Amino acid sequence: MNVKIDTEGAFGSALVTLEAGEKFVSEAGAMYRASPNMEISVESRKKKDEGMWGALKSGIKALFAGESFFLSTYTPNDSQAGEVGLAPTHQGEVRSVKVGPEVWICSGGSYLGSSGSVNLDTQYQGLSKGMFSKEGLVFVQASGEGDLLVNGFGRISSVDVSGGITIDNGHLIAFTEGLEYTISKAGGGWISSMMSGEGLVMKFSGQGKVLVQSHDPSRLGGVLGPLLPPREG
Amino acid sequence: MKKLLEYILNRAKELQINMRFDIKGNPSYGEVDVDLGPNEILLIEPGAMSRMSSNLNSSFQRQGGFFSAMFRKMFGGENFFLGKYEHPDGGKLTFAPSIPGHVEHRQLTNNSLNIMAGGFLACTPGVNIKAKFGGLKALFSGEGAFLLEASGSGDLFFNSFGGVVEKEINGEFIVDTGHVVAFDPSLDYKITGMGSFKSTMLSGEGMVMRFSGNGKLYLQTRNVSSIASWLTPRLLG
Repeated sequence: MNVKIDTEGAFGSALVTLEAGEKFVSEAGAMYRASPNMEISVESRKKKDEGMWGALKSGIKALFAGESFFLSTYTPNDSQAGEVGLAPTHQGEVRSVKVGPEVWICSGGSYLGSSGSVNLDTQYQGLSKGMFSKEGLVFVQASGEGDLLVNGFGRISSVDVSGGITIDNGHLIAFTEGLEYTISKAGGGWISSMMSGEGLVMKFSGQGKVLVQSHDPSRLGGVLGPLLPPREG
Repeated sequence: MKKLLEYILNRAKELQINMRFDIKGNPSYGEVDVDLGPNEILLIEPGAMSRMSSNLNSSFQRQGGFFSAMFRKMFGGENFFLGKYEHPDGGKLTFAPSIPGHVEHRQLTNNSLNIMAGGFLACTPGVNIKAKFGGLKALFSGEGAFLLEASGSGDLFFNSFGGVVEKEINGEFIVDTGHVVAFDPSLDYKITGMGSFKSTMLSGEGMVMRFSGNGKLYLQTRNVSSIASWLTPRLLG
């Protein structure tokens, strides 16, 4: 299996080459090109030993994580290698990271795809964290071994954390297991935190890596919104 | 005597060292990494901080007097308060504008720069930002009747939608309204049509800004109100 970031920069996409027998999984609707021998099917998110109920439960949880109910899977249906191209809905960078040395936790909406050997699970963030962060109530946890693709709005930067880093609400893409975060004020008192325009931020502590996006889509919405006609109804 | 000389030299060096920063991601997704030295202060448009060292203190500061701040908020498309970031030990900070685009830096040394309303992103405390009435002609500039004047000494960051083209003007230059980001105060401009009434109406350009004088002009390759009107008919309900 080879995962290549095909177009870099503002309009990122990934090209995955699969050998016979290998499998890649993505969010439903992320495929934009595929070789003719690629078999594309839809799969529920249930774990091996779960039944229908498990499939329903995992699907609903995934919706809370801003992901699709089902996953799309890609496998070459002959002995040849095949390729599949994946792209996110919105503009921005796509980044490929290795799962195995680390377990990655993706914030809501930033998961794009992963190798078949990566286990995906949803992680409930707790009511207080989930309600106050813009990143979604449920995160996607990627463990096992293989490649993971994430997408962001704008540029993606990888930050090594040792000590602490504060990330503005709305900029988180993914982080490695071992890091802990709390939702808190940006610094100083509550009033100065609100007045400095940051309001709530995510404070990470521990050792690990964080992937962050340069821009916050809701701030763009705040600028564009008033220029668009009001919603009807 | 020698010690005193050394002290003065060192002090001069310290004062000369400007803020350490790195603009990344231009022109599509410009963001700025800043390495704040001990007690160094950075003032940022509220909400623009995207990540920072956890030890940095954030507070808010009113830029200029009460009325000046009020004026800036009402007419300059900016905020009453600015976010203020500092720490006795320094730290790292990254900020980005709300609209994806180019981030520009300009070093001010006792001079000033006119920025179109809404284009301000960040500055060091030596820079003063105030809204100023651009005259009736500014009403037709596509950016509102007021513009921002950044003056003083220090680092200034401003942003655009799309790429920025820097143009050294010597003589005359024509820009479509809505595409100007900033310009030196030494430049003057007039709002005119493109040639005859017919070509003004039919060229799709409408009014243009005709600059004259000597100085630098910063242009943006796109503008937000155009993208909004392009998007509007394509949105469902």
